Amino acid sequence: MLRIIDQYAFANRLRAVDPLHKAALAGMTILLCLILDRPLVGWLALAWMVTVMVWYARVPLRVVGAVIGAESVFLALSVIGIAVSVGSEPPPAALLAIPFGPLWLSATGASVQTALHVLGRALGSAAALNGLILTTPLIDLIELLRRLRAPVLLIELMALSYRALFVLLDTLDQMVTAQTARLGYASWRATMRSSALLGSRLFIVAYQRSQALEMALTARGFAGDLRVLPLSYTVDRQLWLIGVMIGGSLVVAGWWT
Amino acid sequence: MKHRWVMIVIGAALLIVGEARPAYAMHIMEGFLPPLWALIWFAVTIPFWVIGFRQLQRMVREKPEVRLLLGFAAAFTFVLSALKLPSVTGSSSHPTGTGLGAILFGPWVMSVLGSIVLLFQALLIAHGGLTTLGANAFSMAVVGPWVAWLIWRGLVGRAPFWLVVFLAAALADLSTYVVTSLQLALAFPDPAGGILAAFAKFGAIFAVTQIPLAISEGILTVLIMHALQTNAAAELQALAIKGVRS
Repeated sequence: MLRIIDQYAFANRLRAVDPLHKAALAGMTILLCLILDRPLVGWLALAWMVTVMVWYARVPLRVVGAVIGAESVFLALSVIGIAVSVGSEPPPAALLAIPFGPLWLSATGASVQTALHVLGRALGSAAALNGLILTTPLIDLIELLRRLRAPVLLIELMALSYRALFVLLDTLDQMVTAQTARLGYASWRATMRSSALLGSRLFIVAYQRSQALEMALTARGFAGDLRVLPLSYTVDRQLWLIGVMIGGSLVVAGWWT
Repeated sequence: MKHRWVMIVIGAALLIVGEARPAYAMHIMEGFLPPLWALIWFAVTIPFWVIGFRQLQRMVREKPEVRLLLGFAAAFTFVLSALKLPSVTGSSSHPTGTGLGAILFGPWVMSVLGSIVLLFQALLIAHGGLTTLGANAFSMAVVGPWVAWLIWRGLVGRAPFWLVVFLAAALADLSTYVVTSLQLALAFPDPAGGILAAFAKFGAIFAVTQIPLAISEGILTVLIMHALQTNAAAELQALAIKGVRS
């Protein structure tokens, strides 16, 4: 999932557009979903965002679906949790009630409505966030934070971790392949042992890599600041128009329902 | 007729839970919390971020090269959470790494590093969210590490090493799960039984994925700490970790 999202973030049609615009579009949609708080707004935002991602940014629908579905476990479990309530006796106006030992599992019209309400809101705003992350690589978002004057240390830590992450993931993949080739994951016990070896070895690799980077930087006159060149972006007027359309239609949908 | 419909829904839900790996199942997703609760959890978490960040800045001022180690530490925690663990029930799940991180780097540092990891998980693998970052950071980057660290500092040297590490890691996981259930219950109280009933309800639902995970992660952290003691004693001493034999 990490590599898929990262790949499309770099390879979509909106890659060069100023991250501020894309972030503003996603932020506006999320805020409207939360503030207007109507089921229709959430579903509409989902539809808009999928359209923008597939039709305008040219990210395949399959990828968009997989990314939005990534949190289906959390969503399914917690929406069921909201819809179903547990009590010692069935509530009078239950839509359905099932006895479960001494307890009654029941769902009322109101609780199902709350659950659907939250489902719409969560899907709409998650789609907006996914729209941002599928069109904007993390380095652009870090650059955006720098422009918004976030603390320098925070930005440096994020940039360093982003760089280190792929180094460590590649190391991890190689180690897993080597372990699998030696039947390292053949049983539960072997898996635990291999995972532990993997975790501890990875820690050592991470530590040594950071030392090596430190040495390399010192050799090049590291004075305590990591400076990189700012990137340049384009302005997409059509995206502004789409943003106004999304915002307008969400507000109308919020008032109308 | 009605009952058959219920059976289908429950069956489908069980299939989703059993089939999909309970990957990061306890991250509250974007837009799930009402705005008020999202703001409240940010307000609760921000003091921890401020103090943790001040500590980091002091560390970096004293030793500028520490920032490289910190960057790799955040990446390490992120990659660790991408490991697939066999869980005791047969399916597999991902460790949170907060217990190990708190033992290695301390709870204040983890409150910032853990939050960076959560932000990366939201931005790179679409798990969690921006408006729910405050709530997720409180349960996973504040409460979890503090529980682990208090157990570690309180018990190391007094109880068997493996037991202390196991308890620290497993209870950090469990406390994260309890806090998240509480956050969900406060935001969505049960219409009949109120917050307490909702807490029991969410707790019971997520127990399916989270209790096996806590046990697996406890065992894994014990094994990792043992391996680190034999393989990386010098690195551990450089980090000045208490209770580690050289």
